[in-house]
Amino acid sequence: MQVWRWDGFFDYLFNAYLLEGAAISVALTAGALVCGLLIGIGIAVLRLSDSRPLRAIAGFYCWIFRGTPLLVQLLIIYTGLPLFGIRFSVWEAALIGLSLNEGAYLSEIVRAGILAVPKGQREAALALGLHRVQVFRLVTWPQALRVMIPPLGNSVNGLLKTTSVVSVISVDELLRRTQILIQERFLVLELFAVAALYYLVLTSLWELVQRRLERRYGRGFGTEAADRR
Amino acid sequence: MVRRLLLGAALASALALVALPAFAQGNCTPRVPDSELVKPKTLTLSTNPTLPPMQFVNAQGQLVGMRVELGTEIARRLCLTPEHVRIEFAAMIPGLAARRWDMINTGMFYTEERQKLMFLVRYEEQAISVSVPRGNPKRIGSIADMAGLTVGVEQGGFEFRRTQDIAKELESRGLKPITIRPFDNFAISFQALRVGQLDAAISIDSTGKEYDERGEFTRAINGLFGTPINFGFRSKVLGQAVAQVLTEMKADGSFAALLDRYGVKAFDGPFEVVGPN
Repeated sequence: MQVWRWDGFFDYLFNAYLLEGAAISVALTAGALVCGLLIGIGIAVLRLSDSRPLRAIAGFYCWIFRGTPLLVQLLIIYTGLPLFGIRFSVWEAALIGLSLNEGAYLSEIVRAGILAVPKGQREAALALGLHRVQVFRLVTWPQALRVMIPPLGNSVNGLLKTTSVVSVISVDELLRRTQILIQERFLVLELFAVAALYYLVLTSLWELVQRRLERRYGRGFGTEAADRR
Repeated sequence: MVRRLLLGAALASALALVALPAFAQGNCTPRVPDSELVKPKTLTLSTNPTLPPMQFVNAQGQLVGMRVELGTEIARRLCLTPEHVRIEFAAMIPGLAARRWDMINTGMFYTEERQKLMFLVRYEEQAISVSVPRGNPKRIGSIADMAGLTVGVEQGGFEFRRTQDIAKELESRGLKPITIRPFDNFAISFQALRVGQLDAAISIDSTGKEYDERGEFTRAINGLFGTPINFGFRSKVLGQAVAQVLTEMKADGSFAALLDRYGVKAFDGPFEVVGPN
């Protein structure tokens, strides 16, 4: 029995079905990142608010979504909620599950970013007559973003690979398509190696984007030169 | 006194349990040389226990089911100790090549491609079933009735490919194709059917029958694409020994008795090794 076949590996390297799967994984990552970031910002703001009930709600959300496996959350959204008359399509369930889960993790990154901005900055802005929303948008957020980008990049990297979990509710993303194609010629290692290579290329591309973002938001802080390697 | 008696009985039972296999081992010589096995005097079998009643894990965490019983009986008759490895199907063929186990015992369907890869012994026959919500509200009775339905199936294997064939057949007949939803295993597919996310779930006949008998779903169609099921081997010698054991079991009636108990059809042909030339 042959353990590895190079011809099999190259046959699948540019397979259209797998490339489409990779596009689905990227789309899910992008969608979950945008929605998760919006949720994360909202939850972080609630956790930093002066209101105890709002802090409790945000804390409860993080406790639930960080404390339970994504796989279980997806199964509940897809096959549990219909019992209560709430029915999402498989794509909606995947995006909602990923966004809610990611939102809980991102909220902690956002919260850390906001807390890293010295309190004096906000006080000075308020003293200059800026509204609280303006203070957040113009003073706190740009500085917090600079601190947030490295852990955020890490999170996106993880999210790209986490999208494979949505295959549990039948979304045929990159890894599921790999498993499906394996059954064609039983080239298990070869196809998983192709999938691993796809993930590696995608995460490398994201690393380039992250570097650019770090340089852009590090301007004026003397950190951009240090980041150039 | 009663307590002491009970303790004594428990001790005697435990001793008997320990002593019996040793007695059995001591009384017969392994029919397969150690050089053909991953582990000396042990038959290592791989199985994916997600398919009641064929192979699954019960509430006590024990691996049970028809194929587990059959594998254990084959090992006993070969004078080897059975050792089941629970593993995903995707890892089975590379694991066999990499000497992780001796025999694939997970209800693998026979295909010509598989015959080119490893030695096979066909022993049972399975077909696929279409399960629908109880009472069959959409009156599904044939493949044509499935046009336009959303159908769940375990990803990858034989059932998945036959489901794709159904989609192609419907398309070629000018009917609306089915939407195929591939899941990790049957359990999730049937759960999706239970809550109305699917119109039908496709599985092997035995699983469809099991769910039907439990009263959960109606088996609307069965017996589609009947195909032999086989064991897979790296070693031809081991395959031949297993084929011989199956022939003996057939002769003494124990093979038919086991399969009948689970309502499974035996392979019609002789038990023999087929594989790469």
